[in-house]
Amino acid sequence: MASRTVSKDIITLRGSAAIVSEFFGYAANSILYNRGIYPEESFSKVKKYGLTLLLTQDDGVKSFISGLTSQLSEWLEAGKLQRVVLVIMSKATSEVLERWNFNIETDAEVVEKGVIKEKSDKEIMREIQAIMRQIASCITYLPCLDEACVFDVLAYTDKDTTVPMAWVESDAKLINNPQMVKLHSFDTKIHKVDTIVSYKNDEWEDEE
Amino acid sequence: MQFLTPPSRKRRAEAEAEAGTSAGTSGAAASPVSDRRIVLYEQREAVPFQVPRASFGPSDQLMCTYHCRQMVKSEFFVALDTAEKENAEYKARLAALNEQLYKIEEEREKYRDEASFLQQELAASKARENSLQERFLKEVDNSEERYRDQLRRISELEFEIKKEMDSRVAAEQFTETLKETVRELQTKLESLSDSSDREINNLRRELSYVQDESKFSSSKVTAELERTTLRAESAEEEAELLNEQLIGLKEQLDECLTQKGEIEHNHSSSNISPSNASSDDDKKMIKLLQEELHNYEKEVQEARKLKSSQLNSELLKEKLLEEQSRRERAELELSKLHELQVKAQKLELELTSWKSLLNDIPDIGSYSDIPKKFAELQKEALENMAKLGEITAQLKEIKVAMEYADLSKQRAETECMLAKEKVESSSLEVKRLQLMLASVTEERDRLRKDSSASNKDAGPSDDSRVEELEAALNDKEQMMKEMESSLQEHREMIAHQHAELKLFNDRLTDESKKVKSLERESDRLRHEVALLESKLGHGDYSSSNTKVLRMVNTLAVENEAKQTIEALQAELKRTTERLQAVEELKGQFDAALPEKLIQLKNQIAVLEKREERYKAVFAEKISVFRKACCSLFGYKIVMDDQKRPNGIPVTRFTLQSIYAQSDDEKLEFEYESGSMNIVMNDYTSQTDIAHQIEIFIRKMNSIPAFTANLTVECFNRRTLC
Repeated sequence: MASRTVSKDIITLRGSAAIVSEFFGYAANSILYNRGIYPEESFSKVKKYGLTLLLTQDDGVKSFISGLTSQLSEWLEAGKLQRVVLVIMSKATSEVLERWNFNIETDAEVVEKGVIKEKSDKEIMREIQAIMRQIASCITYLPCLDEACVFDVLAYTDKDTTVPMAWVESDAKLINNPQMVKLHSFDTKIHKVDTIVSYKNDEWEDEE
Repeated sequence: MQFLTPPSRKRRAEAEAEAGTSAGTSGAAASPVSDRRIVLYEQREAVPFQVPRASFGPSDQLMCTYHCRQMVKSEFFVALDTAEKENAEYKARLAALNEQLYKIEEEREKYRDEASFLQQELAASKARENSLQERFLKEVDNSEERYRDQLRRISELEFEIKKEMDSRVAAEQFTETLKETVRELQTKLESLSDSSDREINNLRRELSYVQDESKFSSSKVTAELERTTLRAESAEEEAELLNEQLIGLKEQLDECLTQKGEIEHNHSSSNISPSNASSDDDKKMIKLLQEELHNYEKEVQEARKLKSSQLNSELLKEKLLEEQSRRERAELELSKLHELQVKAQKLELELTSWKSLLNDIPDIGSYSDIPKKFAELQKEALENMAKLGEITAQLKEIKVAMEYADLSKQRAETECMLAKEKVESSSLEVKRLQLMLASVTEERDRLRKDSSASNKDAGPSDDSRVEELEAALNDKEQMMKEMESSLQEHREMIAHQHAELKLFNDRLTDESKKVKSLERESDRLRHEVALLESKLGHGDYSSSNTKVLRMVNTLAVENEAKQTIEALQAELKRTTERLQAVEELKGQFDAALPEKLIQLKNQIAVLEKREERYKAVFAEKISVFRKACCSLFGYKIVMDDQKRPNGIPVTRFTLQSIYAQSDDEKLEFEYESGSMNIVMNDYTSQTDIAHQIEIFIRKMNSIPAFTANLTVECFNRRTLC
């Protein structure tokens, strides 16, 4: 049997930014579905990353996420994006219950010099698939969200980044004494994305 | 090595053999030296003679002559001489041999002394060896004990170090948690201080605004209130008066009308005498009535105006109420302001407490230092972040070094074991040497015995014995030298092994120190990695090079916009409907508007005239009434309506007697809800007046009596004066 050579695809900065922003869009949808932020019937199934994922059909949420991903892609191409955080808050008390932290490390050489990197698309998809599976399995250890919740997205950018029209400066919306779970990461050789979910300690766990 | 053959017996046998041979050749000289027997002359003579006898033969003896006797004598003398010479030679030889023997004995003694000396040296060396062995064994035991102690200490130290490491880690974790809490508190402090400052500034501004507004509004309100109240009161009074006038005038009108009717009736019934006077009177009456009508119309208009003014007063009252409510709100806000001030004080107290906490934090002297400290801490965090990539490589290197240290430790232990084994083998070797020495001493003892036995048997065997002894001594010396050399080698080996042991121990200690330091480093780095990961997960960031942006939640904004749009649309509909209604009404009114306006204007003019007429008549009548009252009762009465602070309307009457001697002599009364009360002033507080008031008003409850009495007194005073 002839040995399979691992084929490597050329990855540019724009392509990597598109992959990461697309990933974030699907990840956000997956989180909204799994955490029950929006009703199940408002989601529809699609095939992506070799998995069946759920996308919202709510026009407002769709437009919000699409605007978000386009801005993230811009920032990623400029190398200004450091972190993206999806925050889940209680609707009644505005208390932060969960923080889905996507830390992004950008290869500065690629941004400055436009160097091209090589990595297999399949391998990247495999890594993203692992993260999506972990997001889906998070309901086993994350505390139940019994109350109505809303979500918000924070972007940690460089200090010199100009603030776009639809964005405002905000506080970090931190959780006091959170529990943290580190998930898998994926790397396009230009952008490396680490995922950590931090959540508020459940009262039952505290009592225990 | 043991000598199996007894050399002394052999030597004895050799000596006997030699003695036998010497007896065969040298004859008497040998035998006396070896055997030390006295050989008789005859036998000696016999011996030489035996030799010639052997040559001559026995038959010839009897037939010898004198010559033969002389020859025999001469031969005998020659033989004697030779024998004597030989004897002398033998004696010389003996003496020489004796000398040799003596020398040999001396040498033997020397050798004995040397042997004893060697024995002593051997004993000393034995003792030294024993002592060295003992010392060595002791040292080995001590080193073993030290090694064990060191191992024990190492294990204890490791345990203690682990404890200290754990405590240090715990302390570091505690310090880091404290630092984190300090940072959180500092961020909170900053945010609180900023927010409190902002709030304080905002509150102060609002306070000033509110105070100004409240003052302004309160002053406005009070002024308007007063005005409106005055207006309303005056309007009410006027309205009442006018109403009364109206009623009176209406009654008059009715009377006039009835009179008119009667007059007309009379006029119609009676013959119409066109007398100019009556017609003129009628015309005048008519004119008067018309004028009265006009007046009434005017009055009606005035009444309408009063009504409108009443409405305005009601509106003003409403405004007043609104202003009061605003005032109440301002007061509430003031009260809230007080609360906020209290909060601000609390915040200031918290700030001072945070400042005191900041003082406790090292390297921070003021607020301006906090961002620097933060920047420094953030730089440190960045540096730690930058070290992250190196930490894993270092960890791996540390692990490799630890493995290498373990291997070297194992090697050192094995080498120690080998050195121990060598030490044991050397000790065994020493024991073996000891045994050899013992055997050598036995040999020596035997030699001594042999030498003592051989001293008894002196003779030609001495040389061989001496040679044997010398050979044995040489052998022994060689053995001694070999043993000494082997001893020295063993000592050197032991010293070398000691040195190696020391080196290994030093290496062990160094390696263990390195291992511990590397373990500490690895723990510290792991802890740093965990901290940084926790910070990452917590969401901390450095504000110097990072900012947090939030997308405006268009979902909520759109909903709000939709709601506002819907509300605006609803309002639009309502306004359009109103507009349509107004336009319809306008259309309706547009057609008949001018005629109605003219009619209304005419009516207004008539009523206004009537009102003016009523007012004039009323003013005339009232002035007449006042004058009549003054002339009848002797008091000028001035009526004034006022309001008490509690809002109750009061009518004040000021009476001045026509007989008063000064303008200060005035009586003041208040009329309130049907009761008339006197008001004390300077005039009424005079003793006589007060006395009269006490009697007539307080006791008799009669103001007219008082006023009458006072009038009489004033009249009397005036007339008398």
